[in-house]
Amino acid sequence: MRSPIRFERRLEQPKWLNWAIPVVSLIAALVLGAIVLLATGKNPLDVYGRIFERGFAGTRALSGSIKTATPLAFTGLCAAIAFRMGLINIGGEGQFYMGAVGATWAGLAFGGDLPTGAVVIVMALSGMVCGGLYAAIVGVLRAKFNTNEIITSLMMNYLAAIFLNYLIYNSTSYWRDPESRNFPAGKPISDRADWNFYEIGGIKIPLAFLIAILAAAAIWVLYKRTRFGFEVGVIADSPKAARYAGIRTTSTIVIVLALSGALAGLGGAADVGNFRGLLDSKGLQMSGYGYTGIVVAALARLNPISTLVVAVLIGGLTNAGFALQGPDFPSGLVGTLQGLILFTAVAGEVLVKYRIRRNRRIAAVAA
Amino acid sequence: MLSKTRGSLGLALVAALGIGLVACGGDDESSEPAATEAPAASEAPAGSDAPAGTDAPAQGATLANFTPWSADAPVIDCRPEEGPLKAAWIYVGPTNDGGWTQQHDASRQAVQDHFGDAVETTYKENVPEGPQVLQTIEDLIADGNTVIFGTSFGFQDAFVEAAAAHPDVCFEFATGYKGADNLSQFYGAAEDTDFLAGMAAGAASPTGKLGMLASFPIGEVLRGVNAWTMGARMMNPDATVNVVWVNSWFDPPNERKAAEALIAEGIDTLGQKGIDSPATGDAAKAAGVPWAGYNADQSANYGDVWLTATEYDWTVYQIPRLQAILDGAWVAGNYYGNLSDGFVKLATFGDLVTEETRAAIQAELEKLTAKPNSQFTGPINDNKGNEVLAAGVSHTFEELMSMAYLIEGVIGDIPAG
Repeated sequence: MRSPIRFERRLEQPKWLNWAIPVVSLIAALVLGAIVLLATGKNPLDVYGRIFERGFAGTRALSGSIKTATPLAFTGLCAAIAFRMGLINIGGEGQFYMGAVGATWAGLAFGGDLPTGAVVIVMALSGMVCGGLYAAIVGVLRAKFNTNEIITSLMMNYLAAIFLNYLIYNSTSYWRDPESRNFPAGKPISDRADWNFYEIGGIKIPLAFLIAILAAAAIWVLYKRTRFGFEVGVIADSPKAARYAGIRTTSTIVIVLALSGALAGLGGAADVGNFRGLLDSKGLQMSGYGYTGIVVAALARLNPISTLVVAVLIGGLTNAGFALQGPDFPSGLVGTLQGLILFTAVAGEVLVKYRIRRNRRIAAVAA
Repeated sequence: MLSKTRGSLGLALVAALGIGLVACGGDDESSEPAATEAPAASEAPAGSDAPAGTDAPAQGATLANFTPWSADAPVIDCRPEEGPLKAAWIYVGPTNDGGWTQQHDASRQAVQDHFGDAVETTYKENVPEGPQVLQTIEDLIADGNTVIFGTSFGFQDAFVEAAAAHPDVCFEFATGYKGADNLSQFYGAAEDTDFLAGMAAGAASPTGKLGMLASFPIGEVLRGVNAWTMGARMMNPDATVNVVWVNSWFDPPNERKAAEALIAEGIDTLGQKGIDSPATGDAAKAAGVPWAGYNADQSANYGDVWLTATEYDWTVYQIPRLQAILDGAWVAGNYYGNLSDGFVKLATFGDLVTEETRAAIQAELEKLTAKPNSQFTGPINDNKGNEVLAAGVSHTFEELMSMAYLIEGVIGDIPAG
């Protein structure tokens, strides 16, 4: 038996597909979701209305969505920058943790002495260095020994998690609050190390999100407008051709992974500076920002600017999901709706590259 | 971006989604940590005698083991202007975790049944510790909820922040220690039922080599491990308890592996403390080893190996507290329940617990009901040979809350900290 349909690669990708496919994907998700909702006795219009209201309507909802989106923006950029070169860095999660470790150290060490602006800069740099170095290990292994970076970056997430547990639960480390006799917790950084929120048009925007915008713009320039970005593109297309052309592939691999890790590490710094104010071993591990960031980057088709937009969308969907659940609305149903939206979005991507054709031979035989 | 990388991108995406799912299953740790620093006014918050603070407003007089934060703590009126009182519970884990969160949600349903139309309850599950907690509280308040229950230690700072921002909302927090005019803390003496469960385990163990899974080396868990060991050694003075730290409240695959490792080492009876799932019981069932659970009565599902377990009855606290709100008499304070008011109780005995053992447990249960925490009376040595309590001396409430030693008979260490 042959399948009655087949995928055929598009020779040309018409421009209109770029906006039509996402729109159709979203409509498909809403229709599929409506079927699920009707089957479980819910009014789809009410549910969609509430998702919109709690995720995106009004300044309060948008403030919340941007707040939830901030760590995802960084992990999304982390994934996007590496994936563009064909380096599958799954390690954003662990690099985020290491950034949080580095930034907490800086916040604790300098929070009492330096003015706020300087503390923010030191924390951000410290987070980037820690996340970057941690990812560079994966880069060196890949560049020198050709180890599979998917495996090593993933494994290093578990190492980073164990390291967090060690710092907070199993040692009297610098990061642990000595007052937390009864329940081990991170030592809070001083108020002076707290990152600001800015109110723009009634929407509260964390400083970290503004930094993410700058980072996204910088990546866009790096990849579109510099020789380095061009070389990354050539390596992604054909590593062999790049080598013949004299491009130093090994060092580029290490640099790109270090940049990728630095972005996740910056997210970790933002997590400490803008939100938690301490190294939160358990909370970080429960949040899974690094893994969600991969989904964000994929939905944004690895474009740094779209990554920010998608992060806010996912942030809003996350918040709206919590607003939806309750005794009459199990979290499994919330997850199903969110999953449908992501699934159709990714599935729609296929249609940008391929078109569906009926298998004529089968049709003829059947006739 | 080329076709080559597309393929691996798809692979990575699938991997990421898979990991995300695993993470959802594995990391929803429900927390039930340390009830901690004893509140100033609670010299003797335990005990069936009249609680300190009976002279304080209505609430102190009606609910045993509850002490307002201060004698002049203000009455907070969080009744709605019209319609039912809306109360919300925030859980760190899923409501079907087979333990901690499931029991909390059972209490929520019991509260709903008790009050009928007067109260409307809701819940949010799988809320990760961190910024999402405050976001969820704000959302619940926007929905008209004026009573918020929190059940994970890691939510505490968000509750403190929310309580300050919403002085007209009543906040109730399980197992923390920070209070405010509109933020109460509630927990209770699980170490007493842990002691009784340990007796059942000590009597059931053929060789006296027992093992225990424990979550975090914190006061509440150490109290439980020590009390359990004490109970086991009461029935078998030579018994030892190997303790394994899992560093999680809810991680069934790891719990099962740890339990299997203990069994492989020759441990013939298992227990658990601060561990929310019955995964230890799965390992025990497979190996045919007696098991004392935690948090929930699993006698029906693990009949062959079931001994008993500590169970909490959160309604003992929550129903009077919501009644106090409806009566306009709610003040914030600290509650530490025990056997006498029924906040903690022992689950159904399994067939493995003999009549003789049941009688011995009953005798101790009566003593602990009359005088909670009295098992922690000297002589008590730690497992390094140092004297902790001289003969006849008991711990103060503060010492109990901040316990930081492992008792003689426990094989294992407290990880540095």
